[in-house]
Amino acid sequence: MKRSTSRTFVAVTLILVAAGLLTLSLGGYLTPIQSLILRPISSIQSWVALRVAAIRDFLTSPRDVASLREEISGLEGEVARLQQEIIALREQAAEAEILAALLDYARAKPESSYKAARVIGRDVSPFLRSLIIDVGSDDGISRGMPVVTRRGLVGRIIEVFPTVARVQLITDPEASVNVQLQLSRADGVLAAQLNGELWVDLIDQSATITQGELVITSGLGGKYPAEIPVGQVISIHRRDYELFQQTVIQSSVDFGDIDIVLVITNFRPLPIEQPLP
Amino acid sequence: MVYLIGVPILLTLAILQSSVFSHLTLLDGRPDLVLLAVLSWSLAGRHNEAMLLGLIGGLILDLFSSLPFGSHAIILVLVIYIAASFEGRFWEAHLLLPLSISLIASLLFHGLEIGTILLMGRPFDLTYMMTRVVLPCTFLNLVLALPASQLAEGLRSRLYPPEVEI
Repeated sequence: MKRSTSRTFVAVTLILVAAGLLTLSLGGYLTPIQSLILRPISSIQSWVALRVAAIRDFLTSPRDVASLREEISGLEGEVARLQQEIIALREQAAEAEILAALLDYARAKPESSYKAARVIGRDVSPFLRSLIIDVGSDDGISRGMPVVTRRGLVGRIIEVFPTVARVQLITDPEASVNVQLQLSRADGVLAAQLNGELWVDLIDQSATITQGELVITSGLGGKYPAEIPVGQVISIHRRDYELFQQTVIQSSVDFGDIDIVLVITNFRPLPIEQPLP
Repeated sequence: MVYLIGVPILLTLAILQSSVFSHLTLLDGRPDLVLLAVLSWSLAGRHNEAMLLGLIGGLILDLFSSLPFGSHAIILVLVIYIAASFEGRFWEAHLLLPLSISLIASLLFHGLEIGTILLMGRPFDLTYMMTRVVLPCTFLNLVLALPASQLAEGLRSRLYPPEVEI
């Protein structure tokens, strides 16, 4: 009985301590301490992630086909580069046809500058979809910066510490991205479903969408730059009695196998204020 | 002494959970190494130490999670406290003890995590998450529960050898 009372006392004390820390954290008072602790931990995590990636590569690819693998990797890179080029050319052509005036504006936009980062971890909670990368405010990273790979959009920075940052994936149900279907020029909003599927909603009923059509960021809302590939349409859901049509898309990025990402460092998201209640 | 050994172990396990076991998944589930470690220490009879290690382990987990800092700490202390209350009830079934407690603790841990996510106002599909995450995680935790409790028992007997009367 005495032991159980003592255990309850310890448990209540520890929970109160944790609740106190939670409150301080929600007020933002613990960020400097978290940064201080994360600094050495991120180095260890980087070291571990690097070794794990090397071991994974070693185990998943037999050594006798190493040259073939290298060739495939080169070709994949070439395909990705050509795909990006096709997207850019199609964009330019469409812009010229539809809004010639905007073409000059688009060309006048400065080239994006990138910061490469290694993925060193994922959220320890399997319910949440975020990555931890090995760059932070010390490297000029700030909240809201978009994160891409050579294949397309990955997500955006939601939390920054001096040496690491957290990336919210576009597959997280809380993320939303304004997108455009490249051929039909229809705008929509990409939202991940709870089962991980990516749906583009709020597409105008009059838009004629085709399967396989490329989906790119539209740049609307100022959260992401325009023209970043997001994926391809795999199915279309159109019902006459609904205001909008939806599509399911296949992301161009394999989120289960991301090792290196690029953070677009010269993009500043627009600070859109929440409407007053 | 136990904290000198325990904290680096918990830190290592949290890094492994975030960097290594995030690739080794069963459906979307992965083993909860930190939970297993503190739970095994509690099963070794060191309940109060396990709760304090739960607090520390939870805070370390919070560094690697989008959940508010401190939430895993509360969850782990609660889980260990509840698991410790089963002490003695399965006293005849030594093999079943770690398995049964791990089953209850895993379900409780994920239940509380889901509760926290719902409190944050995030969208959640219970059926999908149960089948894709909670059940695979629980299964993996059950698989690792026996070796974890054996390791904890071994460590306990080294750190706290039984007193012998001469």
